[in-house]
Amino acid sequence: MKHVFYLDGQEIPFVPGQNVLEATIAAGQDRQIPYFCFHPALGSLGACRQCAVKMYSHDSKHPPRITMACLLPASDDLQLVTLENDVHTEHREIIELLMTNHPLDCPVCDEGGQCHLQDMTVQTGHSVRHYGGPKRTYRNQNLGPLVYQEMNRCITCYRCVRFYQDAALGEDFGVFGSRNRVSFGRLEDGPLESPFSGNLVEVCPTGVFTDKVFRHDYVRVWDLQQGPSVCPHCAVGCNTTPGARLGTLRRIRNRQHPEINGHFLCDRGRYAFPYVTAHSRPLQPRLKGETSRQEAVLRQLASRLEEGRSGFLGSPREDLQSNLGLFALADCLHAPFAAVTSSWAEALAQQCLALPQAPSLQEVAAADRIVVIGDLDSIAPMAGFAVRQALGRGARLTVLASSRTGLARKGDYRPLRPSALRDQVAQLADDPCLQGGRVPVLLATAETLGPSGLYALRKTLEKLPANARAGAFVNRPNLFGAAYFAADGHTERLQQALRQREINHLLCLGADPLGEDWGAGAWRTLSSGLEGFALLDMVDSATARAAEALLPVAAFPERAGLFVNYEGRIQAFAPVYQREAQVLHSAVHGSGFPDAAGGMKHPLGPPSPLFWLGRLAELLHVHEAWQKRLDFYLHFLCPAAPDPDSPGVLLPDTIRARFEIATLPLPPTVGPEQWELDIFRWYGGETLADTAEDLQSLAPLRGLRVHPDVQAASATLQGPCGQLHLPVIPCEDMVQGVIAIDQEGFAELGLYPGDPVEVTWEQEP
Amino acid sequence: MSSPTSTVDLHDDALLARLRALVAESPVPEAAISEVLQALQKARGYIDDEALQLAATLTGLSPVKVEELCTFYSLVLREPVGTHVMRVCDSIACHMAGAQDILTQARQHCGVGFGEVSRSGKLTVIPHVCIGMCDRAPAVLVDQEALGPMDKQALTQLLAQLEADVWKPS
Repeated sequence: MKHVFYLDGQEIPFVPGQNVLEATIAAGQDRQIPYFCFHPALGSLGACRQCAVKMYSHDSKHPPRITMACLLPASDDLQLVTLENDVHTEHREIIELLMTNHPLDCPVCDEGGQCHLQDMTVQTGHSVRHYGGPKRTYRNQNLGPLVYQEMNRCITCYRCVRFYQDAALGEDFGVFGSRNRVSFGRLEDGPLESPFSGNLVEVCPTGVFTDKVFRHDYVRVWDLQQGPSVCPHCAVGCNTTPGARLGTLRRIRNRQHPEINGHFLCDRGRYAFPYVTAHSRPLQPRLKGETSRQEAVLRQLASRLEEGRSGFLGSPREDLQSNLGLFALADCLHAPFAAVTSSWAEALAQQCLALPQAPSLQEVAAADRIVVIGDLDSIAPMAGFAVRQALGRGARLTVLASSRTGLARKGDYRPLRPSALRDQVAQLADDPCLQGGRVPVLLATAETLGPSGLYALRKTLEKLPANARAGAFVNRPNLFGAAYFAADGHTERLQQALRQREINHLLCLGADPLGEDWGAGAWRTLSSGLEGFALLDMVDSATARAAEALLPVAAFPERAGLFVNYEGRIQAFAPVYQREAQVLHSAVHGSGFPDAAGGMKHPLGPPSPLFWLGRLAELLHVHEAWQKRLDFYLHFLCPAAPDPDSPGVLLPDTIRARFEIATLPLPPTVGPEQWELDIFRWYGGETLADTAEDLQSLAPLRGLRVHPDVQAASATLQGPCGQLHLPVIPCEDMVQGVIAIDQEGFAELGLYPGDPVEVTWEQEP
Repeated sequence: MSSPTSTVDLHDDALLARLRALVAESPVPEAAISEVLQALQKARGYIDDEALQLAATLTGLSPVKVEELCTFYSLVLREPVGTHVMRVCDSIACHMAGAQDILTQARQHCGVGFGEVSRSGKLTVIPHVCIGMCDRAPAVLVDQEALGPMDKQALTQLLAQLEADVWKPS
């Protein structure tokens, strides 16, 4: 049955449970009702008194009355009016009250042009301030490198504190004072600690909280080129709206996706974008470390590939089509291909894919029994945000981890060594923490559990009720897309071919096998057998610096593509802007790259990986076969390619089934006296994000995190591929017997999370 | 009652035991925050950062939550005060009856701004929201004693008594 009420004679459909304002906004008719404190994700408060409507009764005994739309439950045949003088006067006078202390600084305010208060003031027609008294002023706080505060603009709608405390469960931001001396901020100056602090910029209906990073290279919102994109910084696949101007990316905003990120983004998603403008970003083709003409690099690379002794290495950091393009080229040339850099990562990807359909973040937020394994906030912060929303709705949370994580402080924490973690996961089906709930959900950081732990998770899930769901997260946007090619043993075969000198050349796409990717220690040894290797990438890395041929590629907002998120949801992103010529200096080096129309009118920034792969296929005379294979694989995985504006399409379950029988490496054996390694990450850390200076200024120190009962200043760890010497950082939150190091450390040692490690403690720093 | 500004040792066992008892008596630890703050202010004269942290630890609230509470309630002091605190009501009834004159006179007597400790260390004057004494406007609250209506002469006398430390609550 269709439910409707009437607003100024116009039918507004609603779903039972919605309030009048919510339904009006959903119907796109909110131009008639101004509002401030209501936010679709934060709900109604009734504090600002702005969303007044006049309600008429069918009973003539009851005169019409003015009421707040955000507090009025929508009901059938409700007759509401806004176009009468008294309602309009109420709207205008409330705005005048809210504007009593608001400075008239729109021309110099960052919010100008995208300001809800500005829009509502114009909409209601308020233009004269009748009160002649002074405006109250505040001392602003320095809230760190990401969010800028200007308290004088505040209209006390409380959206910020409702978001920060109630939705994000942050503890370092609050509302102080009372009456007309209310202020919002921290106890003292300092960076906001929440991984979701950037959302203050979007929830604030005026310019109290603005984007400090956007300030560095500010442009009015109407001058921004914007388009639909998908966040490339983890497996969640939040929808974003990048904004660019004059060929450079200036900011990232949330783009609502009802199943994934809703109205919010994490700070990595919002503030990691300067990888696109980083000085270290390769923008010109390089041959043996020297900038070179693209044709020269392509010909050199083609001649290497023609020798028939090349291997191909894809990456979960690159999008689906680029990986498919590389796979198709390898297929045309009958060359070995691997999608990930180590057998461990391959098994990890396979076990992630073998899990049944993962819950969407919306479903996580609706769960009532949640088990989190590992530090979810540091891998996929928005998944952690969904857990917080569930907590706000009364869910019971249990966290299994080797350190007291941010989420562990909000639920039952079980401190466990990584080896014990796997055993515990295997026994979760009978655990009281999942009993008594209607919707149990298990969320794991894939690396912490490892392939055998993920297998145990799948087996546990089979023993749980049918509605139980599990999801595994990584900090790569396309592990699930790349993993479709991670067929059993491909990485081992590629490495074997290299060891046996069957290949002497490697073409990598977005991978860093000599730097921080899993298994980098082994690759450093293997690379001695290479005569050269080529890389297509958008960031500077150890591999990029050592590559014989380097072909720069467009950053994600500069091109179209597909990512497959942790649910197996294929989402498209569109090119938002084109990088301009002056940053490329291509007038010196040749004719530049073709523009979107295929012409060569003016030189542009680096093209997509598919452009390079297509050109290579042409030079190798396999373009037709390459294109056919590419189209076939793409059609196989994704028969109906999603539109960037659509919510994406889920991969069919049949594709998952073949990973259920993947080879499972044995879990490491760890003695009780041995030290175990676990991975340490933080919410802003990720390969692309690592070049974002403002975000990285918040990064924790590098070191070995251990329980404070270890009396040492530094330590040397010994692994099969090398040793690592780092200062010791005593950490109360760590479990005894566990050492946490970053991914780079694992790469240097040649070890994986959960592995035992030999350690020499030293008193000298 | 006086509002001493002398610092009390927060590690004093008797004080800690009293605070813990307040927390134990309340249905949930968080609910004891008002009583804990009152007890700390009584012992210490005002809630300094150390006392705020202690209140947060004892009740399990975040320091931000405790600060929210402290700044919400006008009777919680976050700065050091004189031996006596005079709160002058400046809400509508007292305002109409001349509260501004009372405030000006008191401030001039102290020689410092509102909320600051007078040079003698005896007095702090703070404008305050309605204290419910509209029938005796303009009214003041000295420590915990409500007085009014005040006029220039009565205030002069009161200030002299406070300075001489001879004022006694009725």
